[in-house]
Amino acid sequence: MEIPYTVKPRPDTGLYNAKLGIWLFLASEVMLFGALFSSYVLLRVGAEPGTWSMGLMDIYVGAGNTMVLIASSMFVVLAWAQLKQGNLAGYKKWKWATIACAVLFLMVKWSYEWPSKFAHYDVWLNDAKVLHEKFEKGYHETASHIEPGGAAHDNTDAHDGDVEKYIEGIYTTRFFKESSVTSEDEFKKAWENGTLALSGHINSYEEAQIDFSITRWKADFGVSRADATKVLAKFSEDKADKLLQDGGELYEKTDYDTAKLAEYELGQAGFTVALSVAGYETIKKHPWMWGTKRVNEDIGGKPRVKSLVFGLDETQHHQEITLDVGDIKRLSAYEPKHSTFFGIYYTITGLHALHVFGGILIMLYNMLPVGLALWHKDREQYTNRIETFGLFWHFVDLVWIFLFPILYIL
Amino acid sequence: MSAISEAAKTAEVIEEHHEHHEQSFWRTYIFSTDHKVIGIQYGFCGLAFLFFGFCLIATMRWSMAYEGQPVPFVGPLIEALLGNSVAPGGVMSAELYNVFGAMHGTIMVFMGIVPAAFAAFGNYVVPLQIGAVDMAFPRLNMASFWSFFLGCVIMTVSFFIPGGAAQAGWTSYSPLASVIPTDGQTYWLIGMIMLITSSLLGAVNFIVTIINLRAPGMTWLRLPFFVWAQFVTAFLLLLAFPPLEAAGIMQLMDRVIETSFFLPTGLVVGGQDVDVSGGGSPLLWQHLFWFLAHPEVYVLVLPGMGIVAEIIANNTRKPIWGYKYLVGSVVVLGFLAFIVWAHHMYMTGMGTVISAFFQTTTLIISIPSIIILTCLFISLWGGSIRFNTPMLFALAFLPMFGIGGLTGLPLGFNFSDVALHDSYYVIAHFHYVVAPGTIFAIFAGVYYWFPKMTGRIMNEFLGRVHFWGSLIFMNLIFMPMFAQGMAGMSRRMSDGGATYSLANPDNADITVGALGDTIMGLNVSISAAAWAMLIAQLPFIFNLFWSVKHGEKVKSDNPWQATTLEWETPTPPPHGNFTKEIKVYRDPYEYSVPGAKEDFTPQAQPAK
Ligand code: HEM
Ligand SMILES: [Cu+2]
Repeated sequence: MEIPYTVKPRPDTGLYNAKLGIWLFLASEVMLFGALFSSYVLLRVGAEPGTWSMGLMDIYVGAGNTMVLIASSMFVVLAWAQLKQGNLAGYKKWKWATIACAVLFLMVKWSYEWPSKFAHYDVWLNDAKVLHEKFEKGYHETASHIEPGGAAHDNTDAHDGDVEKYIEGIYTTRFFKESSVTSEDEFKKAWENGTLALSGHINSYEEAQIDFSITRWKADFGVSRADATKVLAKFSEDKADKLLQDGGELYEKTDYDTAKLAEYELGQAGFTVALSVAGYETIKKHPWMWGTKRVNEDIGGKPRVKSLVFGLDETQHHQEITLDVGDIKRLSAYEPKHSTFFGIYYTITGLHALHVFGGILIMLYNMLPVGLALWHKDREQYTNRIETFGLFWHFVDLVWIFLFPILYIL
Repeated sequence: MSAISEAAKTAEVIEEHHEHHEQSFWRTYIFSTDHKVIGIQYGFCGLAFLFFGFCLIATMRWSMAYEGQPVPFVGPLIEALLGNSVAPGGVMSAELYNVFGAMHGTIMVFMGIVPAAFAAFGNYVVPLQIGAVDMAFPRLNMASFWSFFLGCVIMTVSFFIPGGAAQAGWTSYSPLASVIPTDGQTYWLIGMIMLITSSLLGAVNFIVTIINLRAPGMTWLRLPFFVWAQFVTAFLLLLAFPPLEAAGIMQLMDRVIETSFFLPTGLVVGGQDVDVSGGGSPLLWQHLFWFLAHPEVYVLVLPGMGIVAEIIANNTRKPIWGYKYLVGSVVVLGFLAFIVWAHHMYMTGMGTVISAFFQTTTLIISIPSIIILTCLFISLWGGSIRFNTPMLFALAFLPMFGIGGLTGLPLGFNFSDVALHDSYYVIAHFHYVVAPGTIFAIFAGVYYWFPKMTGRIMNEFLGRVHFWGSLIFMNLIFMPMFAQGMAGMSRRMSDGGATYSLANPDNADITVGALGDTIMGLNVSISAAAWAMLIAQLPFIFNLFWSVKHGEKVKSDNPWQATTLEWETPTPPPHGNFTKEIKVYRDPYEYSVPGAKEDFTPQAQPAK
């Protein structure tokens, strides 16, 4: 049994099967990305002023990556052209160039663009007054020395150390690009209501040290005494019997993970336990992707993190301020859940990156002996395969060409 | 010697010649790339899930009729399987009702009708009808089936996880679907992504096959109508499903990594502020969902129309009346299906301009549907009709689908939809389209093509019992629902509306709008009809399995004396389908051609 038109085009349609197939596949891809772009529009139109962080993207990195992809799209054609002429070596050369571009593109995303965002935070506070104090403390010095946000908007008044004006500059660049009546009104409202966020990095934080004690063991829980003792022995070999009998302290000043693991496992074995915060230790780290729950989780009446040392953006030398976790209303890294802007940004670029990654795998497969076997069997079919891949690759490129302006520029 | 054994022998000889390597059992029946095996796999899964989905609703009907009482027979079973908290003492909890309801819809639509009507018949019949050796991409075809299968496994497993399967309805509206704390919805989304992937792969394959693999002489206007219907259906799937995939990804992110695509600012759940950024749009989900789900209703019904057209032509022994109108209508339908979706959203407060637009397109799209139905009705005129089981089901399809379609018109106008939206009227309307509509078409197709698949004919007596039972009980189930809906009964209520009934003492002072005793009493009769309907399926199930071995053997490769190409193959068709060179010389339905020797002239018969 042989399926017709796998290699040669059907005369009346002018297409071989795979080429027709890839066009149809791309049509469905258009609908997929089209739906995401439509979602982008709907979310953006519906976004409340001051939540669409359009001015945050690094246009230069994005533009560089655009160039890389365009080059790769060219190489993929050159590779196919070489193949058409029967030149396998030439094909391989251009194909490697394509792969190199694709890998470079992903590396920029994966090791630079995204990670730097994951360690970057916005913090919203409960109280406008506290917020103003923090702004004053963090930005006073900078505001008296330099102009905010670069040359795009020159707030001449900013030189006089007026923090509010300085913050307005940052706000306007980030959410409105350009200053307008709307931006001024919105800023005023946000400033007065204290809905602005502090942006920067967490440089260090005070993390809870936990005292962990066992209150009692429930004999009627449904776990036998012997089994419960065995579970307890995992955490305390020598004192297990006594702890089970009378309760008492299991850990002193232990860390969160240890305490939580013990709480869970002992809970399953019928123990009631009590966790309390004995003190806090300062940890110097730039944590990734923390959320509000990560810092203010309640442990015996106290938060898991007491305070953050926060290095502020757009200040000289990343001016540090200390934030009391009790003052924090919401904290989010620049990750998908930060806002609908970042949500759709990561979704579209992530899905696109997945396509690039898939493309790399296919290209590698075609270059390996398993893939090349087809070349030795049927040159025309192999060439067709590379051609259809090229169509896919152009599409991936095209998606980026739409994606770049709407996410980085507009 | 009969024609069948001759052809079968040739087939065997050819088989031996071409296939030197023995294919293992696994390659032949499980991981097969043969379109016929894949078609049967889809058909088997599809029918099984239709039955399962039906059992879910049969159980729910108990809760509606006798809320708070233990479900007989299955109650203890459910309690044992799913746990005492969801079905204490065999009583269906409201949560379980929601689970079953959401999964009834999901299973029926995506795991029942689509695989059975589109994928099964499409796979088995389309390549045969166009004279192709297989689908254009056999391995992709297999991948499509297994992706579907995986999706089904995920959906099925989700019943057994803590908290059970999805509960937010088959429409999965956010924010509800995003904030329900159990994991069922997450499984639902992952399962849906698998099912969508399967449909996309399948759609590409169908379209390429139909465009590129038609036998010589099989021009576009010689294609059987069934092939046209499948062709348009494949385009609908190809273009409408990706937006739901996008929406599914976003809802998954809302659930798993706490984004706010569909969560509005200031969302409060259970009296608590939800710790999310907000700023999302619940309407966005509805738009993306219905952008798929309206075309999806045509996905559900077009293959059925195609099947019915084949069977009507064959059993009236005359050409389909207005073949070209049918083709034109189905193509127009395909286009229009993409611009009517917001008629499901009149209640969302859209402006008058947008509302007027969608009302207009909705009424326009009813025209091609009516043309198709009218053509099929006219086709009956003056035919010498053979009333065999497939024909009975095909004939019943016409008025049933007609009721479904006509009762849809009031839902297409926003002024009447405001009253009927989300009521049992809607349930009755779309079930008339899909249950006595598409399901009857599926039955018709099974009875009709079974002889080609197995070489035996299904028992006619059992077929008639199945038909009359199904027809009567279908109507006893769904007709009263119109009345309930117009009386104001909402859908998705585990107590069948008791809370809002006159009988409820809390409503003693309500004189207008509470549900009266007659309307409430219908719950019991509907439920009884549903269980009777379940019993009416037993002859079919028995017949299906029994006839494989014991049915009456066909006397030729073309037992219905049909004209289309699938009957040119040996029975059952071997790998590669045709044992002779296939060329097409004529239109699909040349029945009773004046001057011809017999009352049918196959497409492959050369002109004299
Ligand atoms: C004869 C068999 C069937 C019966 C007795 C039946 C009955 C019902 C009933 C009573 C409901 C409303 C449940 C509620 O609102 O609480 C319902 C919902 C539904 N049914 Fe069926 N049905 C049948 C077959 C089908 C078929 C073949 C389909 C295929 C598309 C289907 C699709 C749906 C959908 C999509 C819903 C809405 C689920 C939701 O509310 O999310 N049903 N069915
Ligand atoms: Cu619709």
